[in-house]
Amino acid sequence: MTNSLNDMRHAKSMIFIGSNAAEAHPISMQHILHAKEVNNAPIIVVDPRFTKLAAKATEFVRVRPGTDCAFIMGLINEIIQNDWQDKEFISTRVAGYEEMAEVATKYTPEEVENVTGIPAAQTRHVAKILATNRPTSLTWCMGGTQHHIGSSITRAFCILQLVLGNMGKSGGGTNIFRGHDNVQGATDMCVLSHTLPGYYGLADGSWKHWCRVWDVDYDYIKGRFKEKKWMNEKGFTLSRWYEGVLGEEKIEQYTPIKAMIQWGCGSNSNSQYNRVIRAYNKLDLFVIVDPFPTMAAATCTTDNVYILPCSSQYETSGSVTSTSRQIQWRYKIVDPINGCKDDYTIMRELVTRLGFADQFYKNIKETPEDITREINKGTLTIGYNGQTPERIKKHMENWHTFDIETLEAKGGPCDGEYYGMPWPCWTEEHPGTPILYDVSKPVAKGGLPFRNRFGLETTYVMSGRTEDQLAAEGVCNPDSEVKGGYAEFKDVVPGTNWKTDLSQKTIKEAIKRGMAPFGNARARCVVWTFPDQVPIHREPLHSPRPDLIDKYPTYEDKPNHYRVFTRYKSEQSPDLAKKFPFVLTTGRMVEHMGGGAETRSNKYLAELQPEMYAEVNPVIGNNLGVRDGDMIWIESPEGGKVKVKAFFTERVDEKTIFMPYHFGGTLMGESLIGNYPKGHEPYVIGDAANVCTNYGYDIVTQIQATKDGLCKISRA
Amino acid sequence: MGRMKFLCDIDRCIDCSGCVVACKEGNHIPVGVNRRRVITIGQGKPGEKSISVACMHCSDAPCIAVCPVDCIYQREDGIVLHSKDACIGCGYCFMACPFGAPQFPRGQVFGARGAMDKCTFCAGGPEETFSTKEQTLYGQNRIAEGKVPLCAAMCATKSLLAGDADEVADVYRERNFKRGSGSNAWGWNKAYEKK
Repeated sequence: MTNSLNDMRHAKSMIFIGSNAAEAHPISMQHILHAKEVNNAPIIVVDPRFTKLAAKATEFVRVRPGTDCAFIMGLINEIIQNDWQDKEFISTRVAGYEEMAEVATKYTPEEVENVTGIPAAQTRHVAKILATNRPTSLTWCMGGTQHHIGSSITRAFCILQLVLGNMGKSGGGTNIFRGHDNVQGATDMCVLSHTLPGYYGLADGSWKHWCRVWDVDYDYIKGRFKEKKWMNEKGFTLSRWYEGVLGEEKIEQYTPIKAMIQWGCGSNSNSQYNRVIRAYNKLDLFVIVDPFPTMAAATCTTDNVYILPCSSQYETSGSVTSTSRQIQWRYKIVDPINGCKDDYTIMRELVTRLGFADQFYKNIKETPEDITREINKGTLTIGYNGQTPERIKKHMENWHTFDIETLEAKGGPCDGEYYGMPWPCWTEEHPGTPILYDVSKPVAKGGLPFRNRFGLETTYVMSGRTEDQLAAEGVCNPDSEVKGGYAEFKDVVPGTNWKTDLSQKTIKEAIKRGMAPFGNARARCVVWTFPDQVPIHREPLHSPRPDLIDKYPTYEDKPNHYRVFTRYKSEQSPDLAKKFPFVLTTGRMVEHMGGGAETRSNKYLAELQPEMYAEVNPVIGNNLGVRDGDMIWIESPEGGKVKVKAFFTERVDEKTIFMPYHFGGTLMGESLIGNYPKGHEPYVIGDAANVCTNYGYDIVTQIQATKDGLCKISRA
Repeated sequence: MGRMKFLCDIDRCIDCSGCVVACKEGNHIPVGVNRRRVITIGQGKPGEKSISVACMHCSDAPCIAVCPVDCIYQREDGIVLHSKDACIGCGYCFMACPFGAPQFPRGQVFGARGAMDKCTFCAGGPEETFSTKEQTLYGQNRIAEGKVPLCAAMCATKSLLAGDADEVADVYRERNFKRGSGSNAWGWNKAYEKK
């Protein structure tokens, strides 16, 4: 989130697209409903389903799955056509606007209606709501990201907020809700295959930086790899790692994957799950670390699987980063029971047995405080350096002194600081940054410009125009020595920059001069390294609209996409929708979480949602001769099948089937309950929706396209 | 003395069942017995509303009037409690209750249903306050600890309010006042095209 949950209380309107906060983030609703009630802020919910959040909306927009980008570009076009854009903001803080606006003109309200199914009048109406109720808070979640054009969709969201001038403002922002109390922390630590912690990437300089932080010899780390080039190559992703095991797709690696550790992973959130299961059974070694046996444990028929019982969050402690970039200390309530060990102990025993504990634990004597201190030392890119364990605990002890709306402490020991020191928190005196890119406050007091990340000037290929990438004259935080845009800080300590200078002198120098260490630039609407430099609509890989494929085709196939051959053009066929006529989309229910291993093992939650189901519009059901409550088969083009109960509801339209993805424990209708360790079976089981989710991966990030596949259904 | 009441603000209830789970976890209620539940009407359609319902601790409670063994009683603060030792499980209270509050641990059509169970407003029961027997039979006694019931304490959106009637009414009145020209101003949406 660029802002915070609490700051949403200041919104004058809110738009949620691909987010069902009432079920996925119920606590956030107190802030959202506050803005609705006190500010009379309209709530616009854009979703293929009439969700529980939509029930609280003032405007529900039913969008065809996978066409979010077309709708947003349509809103941008409508705003510009009516001259509602924030001209001052755009001319001083935005780059590539003209090139983007040119693309947007193609998305007239009528064309948007043709692509998305949203009536042209409603697109016009929503644009007007946004134009007349500023600032708008924009929220998206996985409904916005899990498409083969997910990276374009999310960029369109950001551009909409730039056009409206809603960035860096209280009540505005792009507020992506993260799932639980440390998803943002996991992201920041880059538990990912293409970057080291803190978004440093995999370049040699990045490795050298972290080796200095870890106090480990760079050549030692290099020696751990088969060849040096693998240090700099992106790895497999969570969404397609199994291709590295199965050998059914061409992979770019010298060996198949032979062993796997899943640590706190609800694996039935993986699309094409029946193929994932085959990979589990082909691994030489498979280790699951979890408080409850996950579905993965039950799907293995070989003796290659080991389950290490791990403690829950109440049985351990450490720092966690919330969706609002706030860092909190999670205190231990009780000791682990029944032979469970906490994550730190399991990690230490593993590392010790692997024989490199001396290198691994150089900085870590006191667990978990020293782990947080190591993060403080190295994660300079996003300003994780000011949140020491001592300061975090001080905030926890004095949480009652912080204002619920602004997050600022009023008096008391944390006076003037923001709760949880939202990153970037540049120094141990810095109060944290409650709203990103807010130039109304000095940097030392939590203000921030846009980062200078993409050079000083650029010539756009589509227009030939050259543009300065730094902010315009006069745009800067109060107290800034330079009254306008400036480049990132480097060579304060020779040979280093603000993000590699471990002495942090560079950062302190910048703050002292009233400036941001990462510079003061423009936010860009054109990304010249992406296949679509300006976001455009492309039909879902498995499109229910064959007539639109020619006009909005997918990408060319991508041979080495995170080490796996990935099909785009060769996968998209106008004939598929004839055999698989319904769109399949998935999502969450409030009672269960992730793969459901934990919540389906809780008797009260299991009682509330005991059965796997698919939401089916009564029209579809009646046309197929299925009755409400009958068992049905849902089948994917890849041959994945699930047997689930039909739940008739108008939440979904007459073309769309919805399934929650929390169930597991049965596979294509067959129970796996006998495969769980005795006494550890979940209370309720059901077919995993992801057995049916389709092939399809984002062109940049490779996130799985679970929200816009195709399926067919029949009576079971 | 104050008068305890529940109020569920239906503009705020998001049907998350947090209240239900808080009640069951905190009071160790068996599966199948629901002291509180969330009801949704118009599910999946515009106008969908949800409300969290439990024993409302009625004035002149009908359950008290029909109980053949007089095991149900009302405290001075309005909280309706009963003695599980005296209850014969006849189910008359369930038939009299307009909210479907009384629950029975064994659900056969004929034969014993076991002693009735219902929301105690987290105020324990007739046994000695904080005694093991009170805890086992009725759950927590948070009112004696000066706390609000678990369900209201846990409510994500503060839709469910519980406590002294005047205080609850004040919170709701202030909330409605702040809603101002919003959801309660009939006709504004149509007349002035704000939304």
